[in-house]
Amino acid sequence: MRARVYVTLKSSVFDPQGTTVAEALHTLGYQMVSSVRQGKYFELEIDAATEDETRKIASEVSDKLLANPVIESYRIEVGTGATS
Amino acid sequence: MKFAVIVFPGSNCDHDTYYAVKNVLGMEAELVWHKDTSLHGADVVVLPGGFAHGDYLRTGSIACFSPIMTEVKRFAEAGHPVIGICNGFQILLEAGLLPGAMLRNRSLKFQCEQVFVRVEQVDTPFTVACQQAQVLRIPIAHGEGNYYAEPEVVECLEANRQVLFRYTTPAGVVMPGANPNGSVNAIAGLCNVTRNVVGLMPHPERSCEDIVGSAEGLVIFKSVVQAVTNGLQDSGSIEPLLGR
Repeated sequence: MRARVYVTLKSSVFDPQGTTVAEALHTLGYQMVSSVRQGKYFELEIDAATEDETRKIASEVSDKLLANPVIESYRIEVGTGATS
Repeated sequence: MKFAVIVFPGSNCDHDTYYAVKNVLGMEAELVWHKDTSLHGADVVVLPGGFAHGDYLRTGSIACFSPIMTEVKRFAEAGHPVIGICNGFQILLEAGLLPGAMLRNRSLKFQCEQVFVRVEQVDTPFTVACQQAQVLRIPIAHGEGNYYAEPEVVECLEANRQVLFRYTTPAGVVMPGANPNGSVNAIAGLCNVTRNVVGLMPHPERSCEDIVGSAEGLVIFKSVVQAVTNGLQDSGSIEPLLGR
């Protein structure tokens, strides 16, 4: 099974990289992009029988390693389909 | 007295630290590989600066699972002095031995420069030989030294007097222009609740001799020698911090 983990800075934490990207987009003329938050994306191939089990393991490893709970939060998607 | 300097793959201030302890301070020092499981009878542990494990994922995030860290945690919990410098500080944060986390510098630049830090507390093993409010000229060299913790954690840090070093002007004044990375409350270094684990972003080991521009970092190493020689003082009971 494949789990996709999206890690981003918590909304309460200032994201200097995202802000700089947003400013660059404004320089390019994309004034309509009002905000950018930068994050990390992980694809995990997990040997697990069910979606629940896959999600449980993905959640565990996110808590232990992929995300730092002091500054980051994460979101998990589970599925068998290929990524596009 | 013996110092253990932990060497992670990617540490690059390990030999500077070893030199400062052994050649400048005249103490015994040993480089301890991160896969080792013993601190070889050391009295003080130093996690040096560098880019442990290439800073992959997050600074310090992989290093805190190195085999030696189990022993470092045990050593810290027993009340012995542990100091993390720069990347070593980041490792202590990821290991949960100190509260908070590091963000990219506000400037998004790798800041490599001499800075001034004011000593805020002198009742820890690494500041005991300092004067209260003494200003030290010590270099920084980091891309992720923008200290962050939740507002209630910062409040606890201040109430418990855990902030040991703050970025200031040469005269010891806290102001935005003197804060090189955007750290909350201009925090450059702090200690844990029991005051024996200390982390700081500036590099005292790079400022131990006049020939390198400043010898003002040496007092931090002298402090721990004094503290261990005199026996670590019990700092009394303090309410535990929220979070990690």
